[in-house]
Amino acid sequence: MGVIHVEGVSKIYNPDKIPVTALQGVSLTIEAGEFTAIVGPSGSGKTTLLNVIGGLDRPTSGRVAVGGHEITGLSDNELIDFRKEHIGFVFQAYNLIPVLTARENVSFVMLLQNRPAAEREARTQELLAAVGLEDQIDKRPAELSGGQQQRVAVARALAPKPAFILADEPTANLDSHSASNLLDIMARLNEEEGVTFLFSTHDQRVIDRARRVITLVDGAIARDEYRS
Amino acid sequence: MIYLMAWRNIWRNPTRSRVVILAIALGIWAALFMSGFATGMMRNYIQNAITNVVSHIQIHHPEYQADNNVRYTIPGADSLRKTLLAIPEVKAVSVRTLVNGMIASSQTARGVQVKAITPGEEATVGLSADKIVEGDFFAEDRKNNLLMSKKLADRLHVALRSKVVLTFQDLGGNITSAAFRITGLYAIGDEPFEEGHVFVRRQDLNRLLVADLTDSLNVEQHLAHEIALLLSTPDQVDPVQAELQKRLPGLRIETYREVAPDLRLYESQVQSVSWVYLIVIMLALVFGIINTMLMTVLERYKELGMLMAIGMNKWRVFRMIMLETLFLSLAGAPLGLLLGWGTITFLGHRGLDLSRFSDALAQFGMSNVVYFAVPQETYAQAVFILVCTAFLASLYPAWKAIRLRPVEAIRRI
Repeated sequence: MGVIHVEGVSKIYNPDKIPVTALQGVSLTIEAGEFTAIVGPSGSGKTTLLNVIGGLDRPTSGRVAVGGHEITGLSDNELIDFRKEHIGFVFQAYNLIPVLTARENVSFVMLLQNRPAAEREARTQELLAAVGLEDQIDKRPAELSGGQQQRVAVARALAPKPAFILADEPTANLDSHSASNLLDIMARLNEEEGVTFLFSTHDQRVIDRARRVITLVDGAIARDEYRS
Repeated sequence: MIYLMAWRNIWRNPTRSRVVILAIALGIWAALFMSGFATGMMRNYIQNAITNVVSHIQIHHPEYQADNNVRYTIPGADSLRKTLLAIPEVKAVSVRTLVNGMIASSQTARGVQVKAITPGEEATVGLSADKIVEGDFFAEDRKNNLLMSKKLADRLHVALRSKVVLTFQDLGGNITSAAFRITGLYAIGDEPFEEGHVFVRRQDLNRLLVADLTDSLNVEQHLAHEIALLLSTPDQVDPVQAELQKRLPGLRIETYREVAPDLRLYESQVQSVSWVYLIVIMLALVFGIINTMLMTVLERYKELGMLMAIGMNKWRVFRMIMLETLFLSLAGAPLGLLLGWGTITFLGHRGLDLSRFSDALAQFGMSNVVYFAVPQETYAQAVFILVCTAFLASLYPAWKAIRLRPVEAIRRI
């Protein structure tokens, strides 16, 4: 079994009123160390699939297992704890905590895990250096560019040592240079440290870097392509 | 870090936070002001009552207070006075002879209590020359001089130097009358007392009370119904009472609270009135704080969703919103307390002149200037109630925050 195992997942919004099918019978397995992009037109169910895999949303049917643990039956609080320990998130709009500095944003997730202060500080320094922000650690998000904020978001996502990182349109708000820079960092982390990345994206630059591309059309997998 | 986040979060919209902080500070100030005013009024009333009417401690024959019979005298009152004055806590002592009777002018008559005093003693305990608004304080060394209040003089249609007749029962049980000349009019700012009390020299009243007795001279010199004590500070009332009761088991020793139960009620109200003002004002503030925190939560819906998405559990989110509310509320506390303390100190020293309401105040035995006072514990009460207010005000916004679903919150881009 891979790090992510999705089996027959369907998601229907408003099942009692005007049902909207976002996912229908999606099954896939993501192995550790993959650098995978989920692509497809708007409304094809990319973000819904990521949300279901990340435990942010519950499937209408089917099951999702992460690292061998089935998450579909967990309560809200259990899901929060599960996400904290096993999943890193990178959002399209960065979604950093505006009142905390880059250092504090990265450290915060480890604080939620009750990691010791010394470990938090060391890992924060290490991660911010890895994303090239060692000289910006005490700046708040408003003082950083979009690209820098997204790099802080990547460092934050990596901080709890998750099983994989879910990145929902991570380059959508970035200029070409920042997007390229961010992708370089993610690719390096994937190759050198074996971090598993799962993207939902429209961005051709991301698709070009992905080693596996899953195409969703109308909530179903239309193509699953591995690249060398 | 949650504390740090909570503190920084309240300054994300500084104008809004400052408005709330200012409202809280003004709320605390208003509560302290009201409490200071009410406490000042009550203390004013109590102090006036002690000074002019009841003194700190009164000593009577055990039966006297029950029916005010003139036969219930204090044996050896004058020598007892000397003993009492030797007690360090006792500042002054006045021995009084009291009778209830009728005062009649040429036009009308009223029931009064006649307080027969030795002017030199009484001036240190109760009525003194500075309360005389017309005439003098027994300056003439003639017999049967009488002091009455200006109010009573008006009621009786008499003036200074007029003659009035006092009628009362003497020690022999006979009704006796004597004419007295009004040589002074007093005003103490306590209408009920003023309309019901006249003062004469003790020797004059004693002579009339014992006129029919065979051993009249001996009785006359020592006749007394009341010994009034003024202490150095009111705090000593209870221990001195206990000590005197031990030393004088045959007499009834009462504090001003027992003599005038309304004073005990007022004293207990001093403590509760601060709570009432604080609670009422803070209840009004609760809604302002809830509104602000609710706006804060709704504005940060997406951010709160993100926090839950990355692993901040609901209890931590709840706690963070509660802390923000608490910090916001407590930020206003020092300013409010400082403003309140400053106002109380200033008005406690200078007093608030309410002379335009002097007639109304006099009806309640209060003087025109109210000196503000707030018990020290009121400041702690203010902080305690504020914390409770903040806690209450935080519940709904915090509950609202944890009700959100991360996936819906994050979708709000």
